[in-house]
Amino acid sequence: MPGILEYQSGDTFLHRAHPLVKLLLAAVICVGGFLTQSLWVNLALLALSIVGGFALGMGRKVKASLKGAGSLCLFLFVVQLPFVRMGRTLLPLPFGLRITDLGLRYCAQLGMRLLGATLPLVLMLGVTRLSDLTNTLVAQLGIPYRYAFVITTAIRFIPVLFVEMRDVIEAQTARGVELDGSFKQKIRLIPPLCVPLLVSCVQRMENNALAAELRGFYLRKRGSGYRRYPLSAADAPALAACALILIIAIIT
Amino acid sequence: MILLENVSYAIESRELISGASLRIGQGEFAALAGENGAGKSTLLKLIMGLIKPTRGDILIQGASTRDRKVSALARTVGYLFQNPDRQLFGATIRQELSFGLDFLGVSKSDAESRVEETLGWLKLDPDRAPLSLSRGERQRVALASLFVRRPSLLLLDEPTTGLDYRECMQMMNTVARLNREDGVTVLMITHDMEIALDFAPRMLTLSGGRIIADGSTRELMRDEAMLKRASLIPAQMVALARRLGLAPGEADDADSLAEWVASSVKGGAQRAGHT
Amino acid sequence: MEPIILLEDVSFSYEGASGRALDGVRLSITPGEFVGVIGPAGAGKTTLAHALSGVTPHVRRGDFYGAARVAGLDTVSSSVAELSKTVGCVFQDIESQFVTTMVEDEILFALENFSVPRDEIPSRVDRALNDLDIADLRLRSISTLSGGQKQKVALAAALALAPSVLVLDEATGELDPASSVQVFELLTQLQRERGATIIVIEQKIMLLCAYAERLLVMDQGRVVIDGSVRRALEQPDRLLALGVNCPRVTTLAARLREKGLYHGAPPVSLDEAEAMVREALA
Repeated sequence: MPGILEYQSGDTFLHRAHPLVKLLLAAVICVGGFLTQSLWVNLALLALSIVGGFALGMGRKVKASLKGAGSLCLFLFVVQLPFVRMGRTLLPLPFGLRITDLGLRYCAQLGMRLLGATLPLVLMLGVTRLSDLTNTLVAQLGIPYRYAFVITTAIRFIPVLFVEMRDVIEAQTARGVELDGSFKQKIRLIPPLCVPLLVSCVQRMENNALAAELRGFYLRKRGSGYRRYPLSAADAPALAACALILIIAIIT
Repeated sequence: MILLENVSYAIESRELISGASLRIGQGEFAALAGENGAGKSTLLKLIMGLIKPTRGDILIQGASTRDRKVSALARTVGYLFQNPDRQLFGATIRQELSFGLDFLGVSKSDAESRVEETLGWLKLDPDRAPLSLSRGERQRVALASLFVRRPSLLLLDEPTTGLDYRECMQMMNTVARLNREDGVTVLMITHDMEIALDFAPRMLTLSGGRIIADGSTRELMRDEAMLKRASLIPAQMVALARRLGLAPGEADDADSLAEWVASSVKGGAQRAGHT
Repeated sequence: MEPIILLEDVSFSYEGASGRALDGVRLSITPGEFVGVIGPAGAGKTTLAHALSGVTPHVRRGDFYGAARVAGLDTVSSSVAELSKTVGCVFQDIESQFVTTMVEDEILFALENFSVPRDEIPSRVDRALNDLDIADLRLRSISTLSGGQKQKVALAAALALAPSVLVLDEATGELDPASSVQVFELLTQLQRERGATIIVIEQKIMLLCAYAERLLVMDQGRVVIDGSVRRALEQPDRLLALGVNCPRVTTLAARLREKGLYHGAPPVSLDEAEAMVREALA
């Protein structure tokens, strides 16, 4: 099973769509969520991502992102809520804090915006091969290959680092390190967890750069990509959807 | 020491370990072999309590791993990972060895004497940085850092991979000594059948998540069909002895095989002389 | 035949290190040889591999003395990229070998970089995948592969460029015995069918003895033994002193020789060992 941030092979219309169109669609849904002032549009965009995700056969990714990003959003919601002073007070709290109607609205919208920005990116990476993304960044957007490669390599390394982190935690707990000890114990956990992670990451990246260089990385030219990415008629509906979302987000 | 009762482990309906039952007594030294992806590391992680069985139960010294924390299990069980760099972080070897002993409730003086004793057999400068050592040395420092905790069971995941012959022998001799002199139970994953034959009297073979053989290493080494199922290649001298029609245990190493050839030749010559 | 690899008194010390990682290495390898390299940790094996691919001195810097030529290219004045057209490398840490996320893309990467003509690319990708018998993995995500499968993908990616020299640095470490044998069988096939020069750094002495024709034993930056595998195996005690073990069949041959029961060349395989014992018994 590929990880949450990895490509999941398939043959849906989005898998076949032009990589830039996918990137644009994801970007428009993210940005749209921040442009709109309407909670309903936020909700609709979120629903679009969730339903779309399941329709693409990526329910697992949707659930995992909702769980991961959702808990972060919930945390932000709870932490920020009592500090919003504007609006009508619904529930006064000690220390001059309060919960207001506007506070509820702002905090809910913030959560939905963050969630709404995470999901489309996760789904975009699920239907787009990283090499296609690199190649279109180079060929269509004119970004130099080195920078495009660095961007996609950073994305590629996220799951790798997660696996590495898990392995280090496993290795240290097997050594008797307690992860749920007191605060003082937790401070002492920083070196056993961070040093091995850092060492292995540096080694990884060094060896990885070497592997790329040994296979001609520095010979790459702008036109070196094998695959070509022509826009096709099939991309029109997706582009239209982009425009529609953007317009709705701006006027609401 | 270790008791597995019909243990299975599955991720997303894919079974990685199926119906494994196993009993390993205190002080035993067993090798665990099998093809890539057979589930060897998964089995070790189950015993360490890092993952919990989907079905069945694992008892370490009579207590189930299910309701024990890994940090509690780590008081009796030491797990040496294939890559020592995931465990090492100290600025010096001495610091590496003493880390966390106070969590265990070991007194300061006791901790010091344990570290000194371990440094005694490690035979490395205690003030050197673990990261400046060779792979084999790092592997032994990782083993030593487990051993100061006085585990009664050591789980070793391919402890000799990536080591040269000398480092490999140092590693194995250290493990063998801990097993012999301190009575530590050892369960070791290895692909190297020569090492299994030389050091582990007992061998378990895992294939496709199932234990397909469990018995004396010498005897299993003759079951070439079984070994082949697990992508293993028998130790050379055992395979040769079998080809030559020798009984199990008659001559399993180069020295005794040479002796056997010599006495057969002599016997043959004597018989020839009589006729 | 003109050597494809020629090292003349090559010495190298890494930046900031006091000792020499390579110390006066002389080496001549003709095209199509299958060379095994063994020796203790820190003997300079990986530095030797790096010297052939130009990683030393271009990427891993330091003081380089002597001259190294690979396929007519001087490794000091040529770039790593130029050399990588001729020298394919697979290293120990398999996880760090991949630069993309999909098997197919991994093979494409080098072909694209070297501007292989577009119409040739599909057949080159197919061939690399078929040679390693991994055509079914083509559209798989690399992170979902087993260790053995990853090893094959790394090999296929190196082979796609059809390098005339292939360097493997302890690349079978994580593989089970049957998969390691499979890799060595494949290397032999490449050597026979394409005339590729194979250089394998490996601690698995039994595999080296069974497959390599020539054995280099390194110690402290020097090549201390260089000869046919059988010649090298004739001195088991010297090998042991260098921290290199012999296959058990060779040890048996040495014991039989001590007893005056065997006088031939040391066996390298089980079949030869059986023949040796039967000869001694006859």
